[in-house]
Amino acid sequence: MLKEAVEEKKKLVQGLRGKPWPMKKKLVTLRESQEFVEKYEGALGKGKGRKLYAYKVMMSKKWMKFQRDFENFKTACIPWEMKIKEIESHFGSSVASYFIFLRWMYGINMILFCLTFGLVMVPEALMGRPYGTIPRKTVPRAEAPSAMDFAVLWDFGGYAQYSVLFYGYYNNQRAIGWLKFRMPLSYFLVGVGTVAYSYMVVIRTMARNANESGVGDDNSFNFSWKIFTSWDYLIGNPETADNKFASITTSFKEAILEEQESRKDDNIHLTRFLRVLANFLVLCCLAGSGYLIYFVVRRSQKFALEGLETHTWWERNEVNMVMSLLGMFCPMLFDVISALENYHPRVALQWQLGRIFALFLGNLYTFIIALMDEINLKREEEKIIKFNITTWEASLYNATGSENSTAPPVTFHPADVPRGPCWETMVGQEFVRLIISDTMTTYITLLIGDFLRAVLVRFLNYCWCWDLEAGMGAFYAPCLPALNVLRLHVSMYLQCWAVMCCNVPQERVFKASGSNNFYMAMLLVILFLSTLPAIYTIVTIPPSFDCGPFSGKKRMFDVIQETLESDFPAWFSKVFSYASNPGLVLPFILLMVLAIYYLQSTSKSYKEANVDLKKKLQTQNEENKRKNKLAALKAQTDLEEARAATQTAERQKNINASLQRQHAEEEEDLGSSQRKNGRPPPSVRHQDGRPPATRAPVPRTLHPDTHRSLGYLPGGGFPQQREPRMHRVPSLQRH
Amino acid sequence: MVSPAIALAFIPLLLTIIIRCRYYFVLFYRAVLVRIWKDCVTGLSREERAYQYVLTHATPGDPDSILDAFDVWCSKVEFISNIGPKKGKILDRLLMEQSPLTVLELGAHCGYSTVRIARSLPLGARLYSLEMDARNAVIAEKIIRLAGFDDDTVELIVNPSDEVIPLLRSDYGLERLDFVFMDHWKKCYLPDLQMLEGSGLLGKGSMIVADNVLFPGAPKFLRYIRKSGLYEWKVHRATLEYSKGIRDGMAELVYQGIK
Repeated sequence: MLKEAVEEKKKLVQGLRGKPWPMKKKLVTLRESQEFVEKYEGALGKGKGRKLYAYKVMMSKKWMKFQRDFENFKTACIPWEMKIKEIESHFGSSVASYFIFLRWMYGINMILFCLTFGLVMVPEALMGRPYGTIPRKTVPRAEAPSAMDFAVLWDFGGYAQYSVLFYGYYNNQRAIGWLKFRMPLSYFLVGVGTVAYSYMVVIRTMARNANESGVGDDNSFNFSWKIFTSWDYLIGNPETADNKFASITTSFKEAILEEQESRKDDNIHLTRFLRVLANFLVLCCLAGSGYLIYFVVRRSQKFALEGLETHTWWERNEVNMVMSLLGMFCPMLFDVISALENYHPRVALQWQLGRIFALFLGNLYTFIIALMDEINLKREEEKIIKFNITTWEASLYNATGSENSTAPPVTFHPADVPRGPCWETMVGQEFVRLIISDTMTTYITLLIGDFLRAVLVRFLNYCWCWDLEAGMGAFYAPCLPALNVLRLHVSMYLQCWAVMCCNVPQERVFKASGSNNFYMAMLLVILFLSTLPAIYTIVTIPPSFDCGPFSGKKRMFDVIQETLESDFPAWFSKVFSYASNPGLVLPFILLMVLAIYYLQSTSKSYKEANVDLKKKLQTQNEENKRKNKLAALKAQTDLEEARAATQTAERQKNINASLQRQHAEEEEDLGSSQRKNGRPPPSVRHQDGRPPATRAPVPRTLHPDTHRSLGYLPGGGFPQQREPRMHRVPSLQRH
Repeated sequence: MVSPAIALAFIPLLLTIIIRCRYYFVLFYRAVLVRIWKDCVTGLSREERAYQYVLTHATPGDPDSILDAFDVWCSKVEFISNIGPKKGKILDRLLMEQSPLTVLELGAHCGYSTVRIARSLPLGARLYSLEMDARNAVIAEKIIRLAGFDDDTVELIVNPSDEVIPLLRSDYGLERLDFVFMDHWKKCYLPDLQMLEGSGLLGKGSMIVADNVLFPGAPKFLRYIRKSGLYEWKVHRATLEYSKGIRDGMAELVYQGIK
């Protein structure tokens, strides 16, 4: 008995939030229930068990409290949570979703940074041979005087080049330090691992979003959706609320206009022509920017051949500046051109993103193609340098060996050794410079642009993170993820600050967030296309002979082969060689393709089944609605008829009663004749003057069955009405 | 020097700015450049040129034709910042709904809005129009009389608004203003509103309409009416007069009185 009461009280407490009571009542009920539970819960256990039971209850309560506090702590630990909430209340959830997305990217880059830093840079710095011991780790004698200059360091030459930041510094020793850390293997695997991790994260987010994605059709009930779902409940600022209100009104007006125009449905040819024209203009712009970049890279190669010192800073950094400027200004132009196309805003945004993506990709690939020429140049140089080195070493040995037969250890300073060209470091340097100049241009333009245009602030809702540059260059410059982290970190603050300063939000904001599969798909494609050149270079071009962890090997992935042969037991390498047999790999790939096809077709059929079910549900709902409406109408007509029927019945009864009374009175009057002559019969009027409202409830209570019978027999009301008339006639006849 | 390639990279930015702000450029051309040119060539001021045109193209005594002539001149020949046909329709509708008996207009300029308001006034109503600049006031007077409104309906006062408003009650014998139309200098909107409040000429239900609150804009005025809580306010969004692409708004305030 007591146990049930306690359980009931507990259930009441749990379900209290959902009850439609006033707050005061809820608070009082809560307090009473809690007191009850506390008092009697301990009494449930019997005897010795009572203490244990009470103890158990206390521990479970403490545990729940601890869990709640831990959740709070975890939420407080999320970086920038308060800042984002502030932005959300000022600008709405769409802008905040961009920052949440940015934060997610920051998290990913942080992990990548930890990987490269911990597994590549730190081991080499701690356990590898220190600076100056081997030729590749030393600044060459010729460059030594200028190696510490700020200008050289800013360009990532000098001491910055000969450090753990770049590929060329790493030694190709197979195992370093007392841990026997396999440096080349680690370098390779970390590179592969970063790419794989990036892919995995994006695909996992896409899969998660696919579950909650909007399966509803966007075409029906447009205005209902707009009315009921337009408001943003996260807004906390009055000015933002006004702006939101105005923007909702504007969007309604536009939706109505759009509806009217779509009904009109004329000038489809004009629209199509304009769209083709817009695409043509965009293509011209892309071609122009690609050509400009190609031209500039060629010019910089010419400068490099002539020697970089003869040119101004502007000319040396031309390539980076041009790429950054183009990447910043062309999207604006695309935006303006897309006004010609007259698409729905969401579709227009997707087109815009596609074009920006094409722009970045075009620029990147032009840049890479120009770089490939330089790489080939350097490889040609390698052959010459190899020849030079052999002659130089021979001359050195000849010089010392001419004295005695046994050659003493040839001591030469590492800085004096002629050095082979290192194309990997060069590629890494180019990308690092590109990212830095991109960042600087972005920040400076951000400051200038946002301050100049304080009335209209546009956010960089485009995918400018997850740099194509980072995907490509990270392999050749392990410091890139670190740079990226720094960049995102600073940009987070800078953008937050810019947003709060120039606090007029955009009129129409769309969600550029991680919860939208379109953006994720775009990221995936960008990722793929940016890792493609890196993979290509790894697979086809042999590594430089004089620098980096893979020097001396024919191909970079030979390090895997080497590891398998030397570090793993013999049977493992045999198994692996069987597994990597093309005869086994090809059928496996075929099987995977078939599995993908099968899964795709089943998911399609599930989707169709889903749509069918939804349609059925919809028609069922409509049927129900219709039936309900009919029933309501019928009930209403029945009510009316019954009311009318009883009204006339009452009236007839009253008329009869009054007539009878009149008869009686007249008979009395006839007895006492002259006094009541001109007096109008008061009784009739009294009865007529009775408010009809009192008659209304009568039919419902007295005649419930006629209610129903009237519905089925339309003529059912008449017999009742006829009777009073028949009564009247005899009275007249009586007269 | 700075290489030509970097200069070429700025071309998309220039194109974007030109295309996005094309209406502003057109407005600048019409309102400033053409005006300066015509001033040098003809020697008359802009308002006098407008008056010449209206005199030759409109029928006297017919306010509609005068307003149409003005509209044609402002769209085709030069630009004067009257209230324009679209916002004028909103103003007409508000006047019809309100049917005020005493109307105050701040900033008559050429008299376009005066004629517009006077046209929609009910019988027995009176319009007081303030204009600071004497030459403009002369033109406005001529146009108002050309439209056929006599001294009973429209009275033109040639004085700045901050001098006249305190004297409205004493010199002109006004008890209550039913409708106020503000179209003078935007930075004077707020001080004049506060002076009107202080003078006690506004009663519950008095309507105040302020033009051009979004472009060129009167931000302090808008901030004040949001915060003060004395008004039920609304901004009618439309486009700038005689221009298609520039967004502008008219603020409509209804005085609620101190609570």
